[in-house]
Order: sequence, then structure tokens, then C-alpha cells
Amino acid sequence: MRSKLIASAALLAAASIVLAGCTSEGSSEDDNTLTLWHFESADSAMGKAWDAAIETFEKETGATVKFEEKSFEQIRSTASQVLNSDAAPDILEYNKGNATAGLLASQGLLMNLDDAYETYGWGDKLATSLQTTARYDENGVMGSGSYYGVPNYGEFTMMYYNQDMFDQYGIEIPTDMDSFEAALAAFKAQGITPLAESAAEYPLGQLFYQLALSKADRQFVNDYELYENPVDWQGPELTYAAETIADWVDKGYISKDSSGLKAEDAGVSFINGTSPMFYSGSWWYGRFQNDITFNWTSGLYPEGDLTPGSSGNIWAIPANAKHADLAEKFIDITMRPEIQAIIGNNGGVPVAADEADITDPKSKELIASFNTVNERDGLSFYPDWPTSTFYDQLNAALQELVNGTTTPKEFLTQLGTQYDEGVADIVG
Amino acid sequence: MVSRRQWTDWLVLAAIIIGAIVVILPFLLILVNSFKSPSDYANNGALSWPTTFYTDGIAAFWERVNFPAKLGNSILIAGLVSIFAVMVSVLNAYAIGIGRIKGRTWIIILFLVANTIPQEALLYPLYFMFKQVGLYDNIWSVIITFTVIQSAFGTYLLSSVFSTFPKEVLEAAALDGASRFQILWRVIVPISRPTISVLLVFFFIWTWNEFLIPLTFLVSNDNQTVPVAIATLQGQRLMDVTTTSASALLGLIPTLLFFLIFQRTLTRGITAGAVK
Amino acid sequence: MATLPAQLRPEGTREVRRHRTDESLLPGARSRGFWLYLIPGLVLFTVIILVPFVWNVYLSFTSYRGIKPPEWIGLDNWVKLLGDEKFWISFQNSIAMIVAMVVVPTLLGLVLAAILFDVVGKKFGGRVASFLRATYYLPQILPIAVAAVVIGWILRADDGALNQVLEAVGLGSLSHNWLGSPDTALLSIMVVMVWVQLGYPVVIFMAALQRVDPELYEAASLDGANWWQRFSSITVAIIRPEIFVVTLTCTIAALKVFGPVYTLTRGGPGTSTIVPSYYSYSEFFQSQQVGYGATIATALTIIVVVLTIGFIQAQNWVERKEREI
Repeated sequence: MRSKLIASAALLAAASIVLAGCTSEGSSEDDNTLTLWHFESADSAMGKAWDAAIETFEKETGATVKFEEKSFEQIRSTASQVLNSDAAPDILEYNKGNATAGLLASQGLLMNLDDAYETYGWGDKLATSLQTTARYDENGVMGSGSYYGVPNYGEFTMMYYNQDMFDQYGIEIPTDMDSFEAALAAFKAQGITPLAESAAEYPLGQLFYQLALSKADRQFVNDYELYENPVDWQGPELTYAAETIADWVDKGYISKDSSGLKAEDAGVSFINGTSPMFYSGSWWYGRFQNDITFNWTSGLYPEGDLTPGSSGNIWAIPANAKHADLAEKFIDITMRPEIQAIIGNNGGVPVAADEADITDPKSKELIASFNTVNERDGLSFYPDWPTSTFYDQLNAALQELVNGTTTPKEFLTQLGTQYDEGVADIVG
Repeated sequence: MVSRRQWTDWLVLAAIIIGAIVVILPFLLILVNSFKSPSDYANNGALSWPTTFYTDGIAAFWERVNFPAKLGNSILIAGLVSIFAVMVSVLNAYAIGIGRIKGRTWIIILFLVANTIPQEALLYPLYFMFKQVGLYDNIWSVIITFTVIQSAFGTYLLSSVFSTFPKEVLEAAALDGASRFQILWRVIVPISRPTISVLLVFFFIWTWNEFLIPLTFLVSNDNQTVPVAIATLQGQRLMDVTTTSASALLGLIPTLLFFLIFQRTLTRGITAGAVK
Repeated sequence: MATLPAQLRPEGTREVRRHRTDESLLPGARSRGFWLYLIPGLVLFTVIILVPFVWNVYLSFTSYRGIKPPEWIGLDNWVKLLGDEKFWISFQNSIAMIVAMVVVPTLLGLVLAAILFDVVGKKFGGRVASFLRATYYLPQILPIAVAAVVIGWILRADDGALNQVLEAVGLGSLSHNWLGSPDTALLSIMVVMVWVQLGYPVVIFMAALQRVDPELYEAASLDGANWWQRFSSITVAIIRPEIFVVTLTCTIAALKVFGPVYTLTRGGPGTSTIVPSYYSYSEFFQSQQVGYGATIATALTIIVVVLTIGFIQAQNWVERKEREI
């Protein structure tokens, strides 16, 4: 037994020294390799499009692409450490917003892309509202300043409807707030919880934000997201949102159980027909196309011009990147119409696609909705963006609201305090 | 050596078995959901039997993250850590438990700080240090760190056990003229084999399941371990549940095997006597 | 244990030796000579733990976002911590964790280990006992992220396994929104932690039980002692070191618990399940307030160390009393 232990230890030690030698050399690549990181799954719209872009890139430049699939959690938690070291990639997909890309940009970890934008003309391909998340000032606040990222796809939120269930009960797909609330009541009368929701993760927060937006204007968004003016947390928009949620929970339109459900649970309850209405994002579209067995349709929220949404995650080039020129070429390839069309035809939302290239009918619906939002300058980002802890704080507060342990007023006061503290940290 | 069984013994056995079934139930759920297609899971829920036997998800995942390489990394790291940590623990415990060095209580407490300090607190300083010596993004950074953390527990357990080591055996060995090192290697270690085996198993399993430190220090995919690879299935907003289930199953198998293999050394003492 | 050779034992009594402070258990070997064996451990410890800890303490007096150099702000972080309600609530929740991860698993584990060893092992064979021990240990092998998914399936409000089973046996009124409702969220995590932790004491205690000489049991049962009496006066006494170790390490783990909270509830609903480790993590990695995160981490470490010191003193005191008997 003892000798077995010694022998295996010696073997392991020898193997590990060899392996360590190999792995520590991992950071020295030959001069023509592009190290690329992203966290989209291989069968998602972006995954497919970017795989095609990699092929095109390798053909055209003769360079090889070293692609590493990361987890979102890894990039989020370790970005500031990795980008500050030799192990930084040449290009990575990164989360957009003040708390993420803005923070890194203000710390000097991302490369300034102003020149690249000039050279490749990306500014012309992207709608203005989409460019908000590409530029950050010295404090890391988006909307102005130099370019630090390039959006490659878009995302926004909408209502998903189970057409079959609507038909079954003779209810009309809503076109305005009145018919929307009528549909909610009608389903409830049949003993069905109309809205699939989750308060433990992002869905309810986004609905809350949409409700506020339906009574708000563009300046409200600028105040909330860009800190232009203080936000009145007892003002009409947010009060309406909080009271409506409390009201809908009371009436049973949103299940009290949603305080314990995750986004996955909510989505699944729409897929398996438990709830006929689901308010969530375009990122579900591809999965719904695969997994849903009934007739379904989607539409923008029936009130107001503003919709939560933004550019998707952005391409960013670390300041320490060894092959920034290759990275820029790669970004340009992903902006080409044929790559954008792949995103569009697979349930994703492209930012620079040719309408003619989109052939899949359901995808056409999705992109048409996105274009509508863009044309009325409706993209309003997300409720958890203002501070880096707001996501947890908003969810925790909504859980309390749904459980009935706080009133709408208390809920708003608590969130308002947390919002103000967080913003003060950023703006100084 | 099986003595006479009474009916109360059967009752006790039944109770224990029922308890074991309750403990295992969640694993059955994992098993059932590992072979389901995503739409099957979405439509029929987590508790239903799969409609068809589906292995595409796990096969695709296996290819995409190069799972065998991740298994290799995990086995290597966990294996080396458990061996090194046991070695360090034995040396420390010898000095503390048998040697009774001065201030040993404080030394134990000092070592235990390795266990009490939250891992997040270590990450930034260690990141800077490893970067300086070029060990960032290298498995040795993880191996060294875990050796220290695990050996704190090992030192504590072994020194507690060593301090109640039967004196007569030590005296007999000393009378035989053995040196300090020989006593350690030929007398104390063999007799403490059950405890040492427990440590080997624990260290292997704990290191295998570690997430935060490998996530932070093993940047390139080539160096990653199994838990970090499984985390790639948790997307920013969506999650691939059935593949996560299946990959968790895959990740469980090596640790389970390790545990079962080492159980045999633990078993050898169960019905026999002890120190003779 | 074997008895001493007759010539070393005074008439009928056990020797009471005055314990010289610099003597080791090896006769004739002075304690001082053993320092050599501590060198590898101490060196590694200093580099990997001591230096980062001191650094961490330093960071707690600064404002630092992780990249630009830290700026000294004196006691600001500490003042903030003392007035931080969330921090104190997180400690309250830690106490609940201690019940779930120390008290219940240790007691239950002790009983389970004794039964598996004494009853099952002796009456049904070692193989059966080993197999059952392995099943109880399985939850320890499962990565917490996966355990969270499975627990989610069981505890989910509408169609989770638990609620379905309750309804099937007619106890539908007991079904709950286990993880989403503040009164049951913490409780649910506690139950999960008992499930996860139970295997650990069982394995350690079963290894420890092998040190007990069966002759002691036989002698005791010949004297008429029943199972419980044998258990409490012989078993518990001999495996006392392991009992101490299990209790202390489980307590440390309970105070540091992070994984289950992160994957199951993220501290919610409200603050009903927030724990110090999760709070410190969110400051380090979400807000990137490394200075404040370091403050929380230091405070947590200090509290745990103080507890550890108390514990080990108690352990030493008990051991010393035993030796003097």
C-alpha cells in the first residue's frame, strides 16, 4: 500500500511537471493567432453567426482563431483581473452598461476604439440609440465619450402570447392596455394564472420597469440610466409601476409563488402551457422556436413608446491585447450583412442586417418589432443597470412586494435609497 | 464476523435504509433529467420520465468544452492536492501532536486561520503574487493554494488524533532505537491509516468541487477544471438544464470512484479490532 | 489499549506523571527537536494565507476598486460596518446555519455512525455498512451548483416534488412557496444543509470508531451495560478528538457558508437568507468595492478565529483533565 502510494505520487508529480510546462506556455502564441472569448452557446443565433465569422476570418486573413468558450459568471467575476494581466484575450464579448463595460473603461482596461470606428465606419451601421452602450466617459457612464465597444446584436423585451390558449377561451390578443387588462381578467376567471413570472430573477424587474416606462418619457430614461437628474422614486411613473404589480398580485394575475421562481421556471411554465402570457426578452425567441409545440405569437407591450432593451453584449478589445488589428478585422466581419443575416434567421436580433436577407417568417416578426422600437427611439436599457448591486436589490425588494411584506410605498422608498447610494458611488 | 441478529437489528437496518433512500432521491432526479431533451424537459417538467433517451446535449457539451481534458485537469489537481496536503498535515501533526512543541495551541489556531478566512479575501492578494511569479493561469497556483487550505484541516484532525496516540507503542519503538523520522514513517503512519485515508478522500473531493479559486486563477480553457466547465452552461439569462444535469453526473463519477476505492482501506477496520 | 508491562506500573494504580512542558510523547525526545517538521507547513502558510490576510486587513482601511491604487480612508469602512444593518442580519442568519450545519449533523451523524459501525457492521457485515455510509456521503460529492438545480426541482412552488407529494398524501394545505417566502426560505436552506453535511461526520466518526478496542465493549457488556451506556461512557470518550474537530470545522463552515445561498436564493427574499460570505462576495465582485468587501471578510475572519480559540482552549482543557484522571 505504501509503495503503491509512493509510486502513484511520483507518477503524478512527473506528469504534472510535464503538463505544467505545457500549460504555462499556453500564453505564448505565434504571431498570427486571434484569441477570442465569448459566452453564447453554440446553438444560439450569435453562436452560429460567430462560428461562421470565424471561418470567414481565417480564410481571409490566414490567421488562426483560438476560441475559448467562457461562462458568463467567469467573465463577470474575473474580468478586471484577467484584463489586467498577460492572460487577456485579444477580443471578448462583454456585458454592456455602466456597471460593467463602463467600469472597465474608466479603469483603462479597454482599448479606445475611436480610430477603428473611423476606419471601418461602424458608426454609420449602428442606430444612434444602439451606440449609447458603446461609448463611455471618464466616469464610466454610457452615452458619451470615446467608443469602447461594438454592439453586434440587439435585445429587447416583449409580450409572448400562447395563441392556442387565447383561441381556446375566445380571448383576443391584446392591442392596447384595455384589451390587455381584459385578457388578464378573462384568463383569471377561468382559473388560469395569466402571467408567467419570476421575482427571484430578472423577469419581474423588467415588467416593473416596463410599467414605469409606459407612463414616462425619454428624459425619465436619461435620468434613471444616465444620471442626468435625480430620480423621484415617489413620482407618478414608479408609483404606478409598484401599485400595478401589487394590484396584479392581489388579483392573481401574477402568482404569489413567483417570488420563489427563477427565470428558467417562468419560461418553462410558458412553454408547457401553464401560463398563456409571458413578458420577457428576445433571448427566449430561438428557444421558443425549438421547444414550443403550440401556436404562439409576440408583440410589443401595448402601452407607451418606451421598451426595455439595448444593444446586445459588445465586442471589446482589452488594452493589453496583443493583436488589436486582427481583433478589429474580426469585428468588422461580424458586422457584415451575411453574418448579421445568420443572427437574424436564427431567432436573434441583428443590428446591421439587410431586410431582404431575413427569410424565416417568425424571425421577420421579431426583427420588425425591434425596428419599430428603434424608429421611435424606444430602447430604454434595463432596470438593474444604474448600480452594480441593483440587480440583487431590485429582486429582493420585488420578492417582498409579491409576498405582501412591504407596501408599494415602502418598496419604493427602500429602492430609492439603495439607488441613490449606488449612484453616488459612481458619480462621486 | 457476524453475530446473532435480533429483530431489533432488522428494524434499525430498515430505518437506516429508508434514510438512505431519502438522501439519494435527488440523485435519481438528476439521473432522470440527464437523458432528456430540452423541449421534453420544458414541456413535461423535471419529475417526468424522459420520453426518449436523449444524449445529444451531453455529447455536444463533451466535444465543445473538451471534457476529457477538464477531467484530466481536475483529477491531476485534486490528486496532487490530496497527496501534498496529507504530507504537510502529517508533518505538522507530528510536531504538534507527538512532539508537543511549545505554543502548539496557538500554532493550530494559526493554521486554522487558513480555513476560517473567506476565500474571496485571498483572491486579490494571491492574484497579484501569482502574477509576479508567473504562476497566474497555471495549475500550480491552484495546487499550492489548496494544499495550504486543506492541510489546515488535516493538521487539526491529525494532531488531535496523534495527541491521544497510545504511549506504550511509542515507548516500545523508542526503546528499539528508532529515530524520530523512522517512528513517524514506520509506526505512526501505518497505525493512523484510517484517519489518513479519510483525509485523502476528503481532500480529493473538496478540491474537486472547488469553484471560486479555479475560476479566478485558471484563465485559459486548457487549464480549467470540471466545475468551471459546467458553469459555461449557465448563460447570462438562459440555462441549459438537462445538459447541466448530465455533465454533473459525469463530474460525479470520478469522485464517486475515488471514494469507493478508498473505502476499502476504511473498511478493513470496521469489524476488526483497533490498535494492537 | 494494551496494558503497560507490569514492571512499569506501580501497584494497582495508574501512574500520575508530572508533565514537563518541553517533553514530547516520545520518551527521551525533547519537544524542541520537532520544529523541523513544521517548516514546510509554516512556509506555505505564510505565503498563501498570512500575507494575503495582512494585505486584506490593510485593504479594509482603504477605498479600492481593484485596478487603480487603493487610497487610505482610515476607519471609514469599519464605522460603516458597525452601522450596517445588513451585516448584522447576515450574522443572525449564520446562527441558523450553525444549527443546520453543526448541531443537527453532528448529533445525527454520531448516532448514525455508531449504528452503522456497531449494529449494521457487526450484524450484517462490513460491506453493507460501507455501502450505506457511501450513500449518506453522496450529497457531499455533489457540486453545490447542481444541488441547487435539483433542490429547485423539489422545492419549486407549483409543481415541485415536495408540494406534489404533500398533495398526493392529502397534506396539500402544507404546501408552500418554500424558497420564495421569507418565513420558509431560511428553513429550506437549513434542511438542504443538513442533507449536504450529514455524510461528513458519519465518515469521520466511523473511521474514529475503529480506534475503540472491542474488548472494552465486551468488558462493559459483561458488566451489564446496555448500548446507550456503552455508547456514552466508552465511545464518546475515545472519539472525543474527532467530535471536537467535526464540531469546530462544521461551525467554521457554517459561518463561512456561501455556495447554497448564492445558488438558491442570492440572499433573498429581502434579506432573509443573506449571510456574511455572500455579502462580502457581492461587495468584492459585484460592486467592486474591494475595500469594503475586505472589511467584511476581515470582520468575519476575526469572529471565527475568536470562536476557534475558545473552542480549542476548551478542547485542551478537557484533554488535560482526562490525562490527570
